[in-house]
Amino acid sequence: MDATSRPAVVIDNGTGYSKMGFAGNVEPCFILPTVVAVNESFVNQSRSSSKANWLAQHSAGVMADLDFFIGEEALAKSRSSNVYNLSYPIKHGQVYNWDAMERYWQQCIFNYLRCDPEDHYFLLTESPLTAPESREYSGEIMFETFNVPGLYIAVNSVLALAAGYTTSKCEMTGVVVDVGDGATHIVPVAEGYVIGSSIKSVPVAGRDVTLFIQQLMRERGENIPPEDSFEVARKVKETYCYTCSDIVKEFNKHDKEPTKFIKHWKGIKPKTGAPYSCDVGYERFLGPEVFFNPEIYSSDFTTPLPAVIDKCIQSAPIDTRRALYKNIVLSGGSTMFKDFGRRLQRDLKKIVDARVLASEARHGGEIKAHPVEVNVVSHPIQRFAVWFGGSVLASTPEFFAACHTKAEYEEHGASICRSNPVFKGMF
Amino acid sequence: MGFIYQVSMKNQNVVLLSVSLPVPPPETVLVGGLPLGAIEAIKASYGVVVQILDPPRDGFSLTLKLNLHKLPPDEEYKNAILLKIASVREVVLGAPLRLILKHLASRTIAPSMGQLLALVHRPNESFFVIPQAEKVTVVYPMRFNDSIDLALATSFLQEFVQARRATGLTNAPPCLWSANPPRELDEAPPEAVKANAGFVSFVIFTRHVEGKKLDRTVWNLSTFHAYVSYHVKCSEGFMHTRMRRRVESMIQALDRAKPDTKEKSKSPNRSFKRLSLKDARTNSIS
Repeated sequence: MDATSRPAVVIDNGTGYSKMGFAGNVEPCFILPTVVAVNESFVNQSRSSSKANWLAQHSAGVMADLDFFIGEEALAKSRSSNVYNLSYPIKHGQVYNWDAMERYWQQCIFNYLRCDPEDHYFLLTESPLTAPESREYSGEIMFETFNVPGLYIAVNSVLALAAGYTTSKCEMTGVVVDVGDGATHIVPVAEGYVIGSSIKSVPVAGRDVTLFIQQLMRERGENIPPEDSFEVARKVKETYCYTCSDIVKEFNKHDKEPTKFIKHWKGIKPKTGAPYSCDVGYERFLGPEVFFNPEIYSSDFTTPLPAVIDKCIQSAPIDTRRALYKNIVLSGGSTMFKDFGRRLQRDLKKIVDARVLASEARHGGEIKAHPVEVNVVSHPIQRFAVWFGGSVLASTPEFFAACHTKAEYEEHGASICRSNPVFKGMF
Repeated sequence: MGFIYQVSMKNQNVVLLSVSLPVPPPETVLVGGLPLGAIEAIKASYGVVVQILDPPRDGFSLTLKLNLHKLPPDEEYKNAILLKIASVREVVLGAPLRLILKHLASRTIAPSMGQLLALVHRPNESFFVIPQAEKVTVVYPMRFNDSIDLALATSFLQEFVQARRATGLTNAPPCLWSANPPRELDEAPPEAVKANAGFVSFVIFTRHVEGKKLDRTVWNLSTFHAYVSYHVKCSEGFMHTRMRRRVESMIQALDRAKPDTKEKSKSPNRSFKRLSLKDARTNSIS
């Protein structure tokens, strides 16, 4: 019995959360914050300290390779003791700290999925803007440290499209709007191929929404302990935020019926253990509004998300544009706000209709254009759509043939990860 | 690890859980395709929640039918049962070990006492148990495919035996490592005692299996190989960390050694002036 008869392991490492599980499942086994707590106290000790200290140092050094935690455990550890340093291995969708990333995978595989990496093929994801070097590096870690028999590194937006593949028809053309915690990418895909030159990035992502909510609550003087305020803002964002259709109307609604719209958040101060409570008001709809009116959050970037999507599609090849407008797929945790898809569709439709009207007016009403169909697809698994797509892909029998194998790695080195084996015959 | 699960849901309350064992090596003893005492162990640990279907599904060694509505309403107890179901691998594969250690705890003689027993734990690999009245010896032949893993594992196991000698661990089971098969394995077939990372043996006394300790001992013994391989991978990761740090510091040293080019560009007049060899030398030193 070899590794190809076992389900592949699918790990989607995001800036905020990592999704991991086995291929063929509908849901990932674990969704954990991508964070590692490392005990680095032994590193900073001076080497020339007294001999009595030597034993303590030695044993700390011996255990140092095991002394780390990931996910929720890491957050809990860092709160309860000050020996552990938190490190976030991924920033803005790119791996930033490889040491932490390797340890993260370590625990993912052995402590969470509890499988032997030598027995399973692996599917990892990367953003379309990842440098080939970093892909090589992940390949190196996977093959050298974990001895995986085979590895496939997929582009996450293609996987997000593949997730819709099963729910509706076989559509591999579309725009993926991937709003994660650290990065927002708009990636047009035609027939399964990413149109690299038209990828657009927006510097506003889930973390910015959290920061904005934190700022709003702080300015209003809510009673939140400062060391907890980011976490509270994140929880508020995840539980109470929604997208509104019109800010002014929404403000009026809140003012008229405050009891209906204002929520309360209750927490316990981490240091003293005293309970506290605070109100959650306008930030419920102002948070997600950051995507549609970025100027309320920062003055550096003021193009709303629908306009960026429109620009992205307009820069794609002309024969794909209609198909792209027809299939705009949402993915990533920060698209989970209620009515996010509907708002996006309305705003985008407005831009497109205005353009069609203008062009008709220019031609003096002689030529009538076909109306452009704008369709924003949202499905219930949006939060881990990338993972689900990976799970679908890795459960097909063709998957194993498309992987880089350990033998190939040993023959050619890490550079094999630069090319995709699907296109092996082409060059 | 060669242990395959298949879960299918008939309806909301009935889940079928099929498991297949790793390919057993020829020296192991199986009863009806399952390790000794597995059926009893399943009945004992799951009670009414689980029914064993006979015959199992095609290609699997065992099919369990879980009746979720028979789960106890008490949240804590329910979680304990669910955890037990999740560790079905240990329940099935560790059953013979549990049986032997139970006999040890009550100091009675099991029917198979005094002879060598091979228990399956990985595909085509087994570990050996030698039950005696006063003690049980467990021997693991350690095998690794990768040469780096092999080197790390060998030194890890030697350190592991060393660590056992520390003062705080006098009550822990004595443990030994040797490169050659220990004498207890003389009766075993020669192909079963080929191991490239040596042999680890533990001696379990009655004090290790008293009361609640039994469960922990069985768990630790059945996950020993995974424990070693986790540690090997961890130390590999740790070494990579140090290698990366070293590379960074070397790059820094190289950067420091680079001749300073910035100063030259500061004065615009000099950009077109060709330096004589002597000038260039003094420049690079400064």
